Formats: sequence, structure tokens, C-alpha cells
Amino acid sequence: MYELNICHLYPDLLNLYGDRGNIIAIKKRCEWRGISANVFNLTLGDTFEPETYDIVFLGGGQDYEQEIIQDDVLNQKGPEIKNAIKNDKVFLCICGGYQLLGNYYKTWDGKEIEFLGALNLWTIGGKKRMIGNIVFECDFLKSPDSDGLVVGFENHSGRTYLGPEVTPLGKVVKGYGNNGEDKHEGAIYKNVYCSYSHGSLLPKNPALTDHLITLALKQKYKDFVSLQKLDDSLEERARTSMISKTVTSG
Amino acid sequence: MNLRLTLTIVVSKIIIKACRIARRGGTTLPGRIARFLCPDILNQIAKNFKTIMVTGTNGKTTTTRIIGKILDENGIGYITNKSGANLVGGIITTFIDAVDIHGKCKVSTALIEIDEAAFKVMSNYLSPDILVVTNFFRDQLDRYGELYTTLKGVKEGIVRSDKTHLILNADDSLCASLGRSTDRKTIYFGFALDAYKGVEESINSDAMFCLYCKQKYEYSNHVYGHLGGFRCTSCGYSRPETDVTCTAVEELTSSSSVITYSAGQESYRAKINLPGLYNIYNALAAIACGTLLGFPPDNTVKALGSFECGFGRMEAIDTQGKTIKLILVKNPTGFNQVLNYLLTEDKTMQLAFIINDRYADGTDISWLWDVDFEKLQGIQDKLENIYTSGLRGEDMAVRLKYAGIYSDRISIVKEYKKLVEQGLSRTPIGHSFYILPTYTAMLDIRKLLKDMFSLKDFWK
Repeated sequence: MYELNICHLYPDLLNLYGDRGNIIAIKKRCEWRGISANVFNLTLGDTFEPETYDIVFLGGGQDYEQEIIQDDVLNQKGPEIKNAIKNDKVFLCICGGYQLLGNYYKTWDGKEIEFLGALNLWTIGGKKRMIGNIVFECDFLKSPDSDGLVVGFENHSGRTYLGPEVTPLGKVVKGYGNNGEDKHEGAIYKNVYCSYSHGSLLPKNPALTDHLITLALKQKYKDFVSLQKLDDSLEERARTSMISKTVTSG
Repeated sequence: MNLRLTLTIVVSKIIIKACRIARRGGTTLPGRIARFLCPDILNQIAKNFKTIMVTGTNGKTTTTRIIGKILDENGIGYITNKSGANLVGGIITTFIDAVDIHGKCKVSTALIEIDEAAFKVMSNYLSPDILVVTNFFRDQLDRYGELYTTLKGVKEGIVRSDKTHLILNADDSLCASLGRSTDRKTIYFGFALDAYKGVEESINSDAMFCLYCKQKYEYSNHVYGHLGGFRCTSCGYSRPETDVTCTAVEELTSSSSVITYSAGQESYRAKINLPGLYNIYNALAAIACGTLLGFPPDNTVKALGSFECGFGRMEAIDTQGKTIKLILVKNPTGFNQVLNYLLTEDKTMQLAFIINDRYADGTDISWLWDVDFEKLQGIQDKLENIYTSGLRGEDMAVRLKYAGIYSDRISIVKEYKKLVEQGLSRTPIGHSFYILPTYTAMLDIRKLLKDMFSLKDFWK
């Protein structure tokens, strides 16, 4: 039987906007297929041993909470996180967690905060918050069964820009995305997937969830081929109704 | 005579009348127009009132209503914004509705529920005599940015309100911080160390780390959420001593609770005619208000025991020997408390969730993933049918599926009339049909129920 170990980093601090919905989605979609999924919560002071885990999740927090983890993530867990990324570990990073993997965050009044530097991307703080439903198109999710469209909700004032090695997660159909300028949303680097779409990103976008699960299983088991199909009619209804609502709104 | 004031009042009153005739609530628009005509309107009208304001993220309406009941018991006449119109416009409407064309009113007490984000703006015009702050939980973050921003806003409002007495929740590290470094007279309410043993310690606690020095709090006791006996071992910030204290929760049922509490030197026993732990906090806040106003404690105890809820915080409609129970849901902590309440139901039930994402609901519904619907697994055998509805009924259905609820019991019913009819027809005699809507869904479903079962108008 297949088994996946999911690491939730700082669940007590980076848990804004229903981020744990992503963990629930990965776990449930594994279990419904008879794949056992274990969730490990790691917080301040805990040692991060990447070889134990198959999927690592890093969510977003309020500024206050991100300040609390700053030292721990940079100096304690940082080197191992970078190693894991280099070794093709599957990561999902949302909003604040996404920014944290980049090189730095420059506040709107010019103060530069050093970040992890695991991915060549950077974020500039803005005064205007980019808030609302977002729809973006992911080419890697396109198949005869899937239109590749992903729907979520974004809420950020940071504008993120990608270096040449990093590709966007998708192309914005409606909404702001990384910076409201270049129509890019999120980032992919090796097996690291990043998005500004917070909270319930995965539950309503099962194709993306299954993509991550597949990647993790392929990393771990040489004999693994593909996931069995599930009845996603409720998820599909939620996804398509929000896509059409978002795309047709003002 | 102040012509501009009179003119503004007359025009606004006509608009209020027109809105009511059109059956469109009319709780906010007239106040907005009044402020446009006379920016200083609130200051001019409200200066003759002794004002009690209630704010915080959860329990504002119930706390306001309990304080109102205590005022009633003491024979104090007052004006209040009953319908939950708690932004600046709605509050101006309340005052204009109450005064004559010269700006005078027969009663001199105003009991005002105010949105926690609107308080800062309000403090520019009107400084309350008493400010009750219930708590700070995550709520509609997309509108307000962040919890700490909301807290800061309330704090700034307090700084501007120089004559205000504060009533604060001692068990909430965020709320209690408002009493720190201020010379405003402050009364704290809270639970004594051994009054209640909380069962769950949620990982998604809203305030685990010290507001001042970012160390993790230690707790001598947990009540629910982040409420309890917090203490920072690093900087020493800790739960303040309470003036009004729940010393024991003797009984907690699906319709009421019995507590003992102390206020000053004396101890009292009271039945609170509302279910749920969160309503004990609301009652304590109201008791503190009664204490501050110097009312006889007997009147307060009487008010708590005879209180009935209103406007959908929890409303019951009896029909055909069955009961429709409406309970407002709006954020994870409040929602979890409502689910805990459902767990105390001993009969089978029909259950409907109506989730909207309009501005007043919060346009981001990802908070549904922070609610512990998983706990409903424990009563799956009692949940005969679960309906999801509202603009985001589909998302709610997905949430329930991932909470481990059997998919075949979940149906998405978008049309409210069909929803009510179906739910009610499947409810056996003597059983309940629970409807849990978000704010704007509450307005719509209540309007429908009003037509179907002749409820009274909510703005009366």
C-alpha cells in the first residue's frame, strides 16, 4: 500500500484564511484511494528532516505572525528546506509562505527584509491590496478531462516578480495574480508550487491536488503509474460555478 | 433654532418612512444621506444622550440585547439600533428616528451596537460613556485586513474617547490589551480558573503568542478559542484581575445555562436563558455594564433569566408541531460554538447551511475551512438530511464532503422556498429543522419565513 507523509510547517502560526483546507484535501483524496496519508505538524524549534516527508506545505500568516517565524525559518529550518527543494521534494506554498521562499521582501517605504532565497523571486510591498476571486489557467493541468482552469481567492499587497529559472504557475484569466501587471499567477520551480490563491485552493481544484499527489508518489515509488479516478461532481460544481461567476463579473 | 439640523432631520425622517413603506429595511441609507446634508449631525443629536456602545467581533448583538433587557428591568427608557445596522450610517438613522425635528428625545440613554471596524470612524463624532468590547476573533478578514489592524483601530478610537469607561474581556489577550496603558476606568469580566474545563484547544487559535513580546502564552485554563487564563512568561503580560467573574458553570443545556458569578464582594446565581458558552461571556459583559451603572443585582439576574433572542442570533419558529431554528453564523469561532450546540441535540434533525459571499458576509469564504465540521461525524446518525444553499452553497457542500460527511446526505438546494418546504416536510413532529445562514442570507431567509409564518418585522 502507498503512503504519503505530509509536513505542515508552522500550522499554529501560518494558518490564515483556511489554509488547512489544502492539507485536508490532500489527505482525503489519498484516503479515498486507499493511500494512507499522515500529517506532521512542525512549528518553532522543531527540527525539519526533509527525508521523512513527501509533501511540504507552507501557508500564509499575518505580518505579526510572520515576524515570529522569521528567525526560525531562515536560520533553523532554512538550510534543510533549501536542500529538500534542490532534491525535488514536492512543496506547496501559499501567499506569505510563497513570498518567504523568495529572496527578499521590500516594504513600500523601502525597507528590505531578507527571505529564504530558495527560489529566485522577490516581492515589493504595495499600498493597495489585491483582493478578490481569481481564475487562472495552468497548461500542465490541461487534459481531455480538464480545462486547466483553477479558481481561488487572493488577498495580498505584495507584488511578486519571478527570475528566469522560475515559471509562473498559471496565466491570469481574471484577477490580479503575482503583481497585477504581467498576468502571471504563482510560481513553479522544480517540484515547488506557489500561489497567492489562499485557503481553499486545493479542495475546489481537484486536478491540481491530484497533480501534487501524483508527483509525490512518483518521487517515492518507482512502480507508481497513475491515480484512480474519483467522483468529483461536487467539487466540479463548486469549481465551474465560481469560474463562471468570476469571469463574468465586472 | 438650527435650520440645517431641522432640515436634515426632516428629510431623513421622510426617507426612513419611504424605505419602510417600500419594505426595504431602511436602516442605513437615511443616515448616510443625513451625514451628507449635515456632516456634524451625529455630534449634534447624540450629545444629549448617555451612550453605551458594544463592539467586538462576536456576540455584539446578543450582548446589546441583554444590556437592553437589564435597562428594561430597571425602568430605563433607551433608544437602540435593533436590527443589526451597526455601521455609522445605520447608527445615525437610529438617532434621527428617535428625535423630534428639533433634535430632542424623551429618553436620554442610547444603547448602540457598533461594528468593530466602524468604531474608529465613529469616535470622531461621538464618544461613548461606556464602551463594552466582547472579544476579538478572526472575522471577515478580507474586509478588515487583519485582526491586529482591527484591534489597533478600536484602540485608536478609545484614545479619542476621553470620557469613556471600558468593559473588557479579561480572558481574551487581545481585548484585555485595550485596558493597558490607558487611564480610562476599566472593568474586566471573565471566567475563574476552575469555573469551566474547556475540552478543545484548537490549533487555529487566533492569539497564541504575546501581543507585546511574541513569546508563546502559557494558560492556566482554557475556556474556548484563545479565551482563558493566559500569561506571558517573558514580559509578564497576563490576564488581568476580573471585577465580574463567572465562578462556576453549573448547567449547560441546548437552551440555557446556570452559572454563579461574583461582582464586587457578592456572589450570585443566575439562569441565562441562552445556550452556549459564548453566551455566558455575553451575559458577563452585560452584568458588568449593569454593575457599572449601579443597578440592583436582582434586576440583572431577572433580566438574564427572561431574555429572549432576536434577529436570528438564535430564533425559533414553531409551526405544525415542529420547530425551525435559525442561527446566524459568521466566523470560525462563532460557527464552532453553534456546531457544539448542535451536538447537544438529542433528536434527529434536518440541517441547512446557507452561505453567501456578499460584502457584509465577507467576500472570501475560505474561513469555512477553519470551522471544525469534522465534529459533525459524531452525530451523523442524527443528521438525516443536510442542505447547502446560498451563493456559495456549492463550496459548503465540498467542505462537508471533505469533513467526512456522507455525500449522499448532502444536497444543494438553491431556492429558499423549496429548501424550507423540503426541510420542514422531512422534519418529524416534535423535531427541529436547523437553518444556519450567514448575514445577508439571514436577511433573505428571514424575509421569506416572515411571509410564510408571519414573523414580526425585524426593524420594529
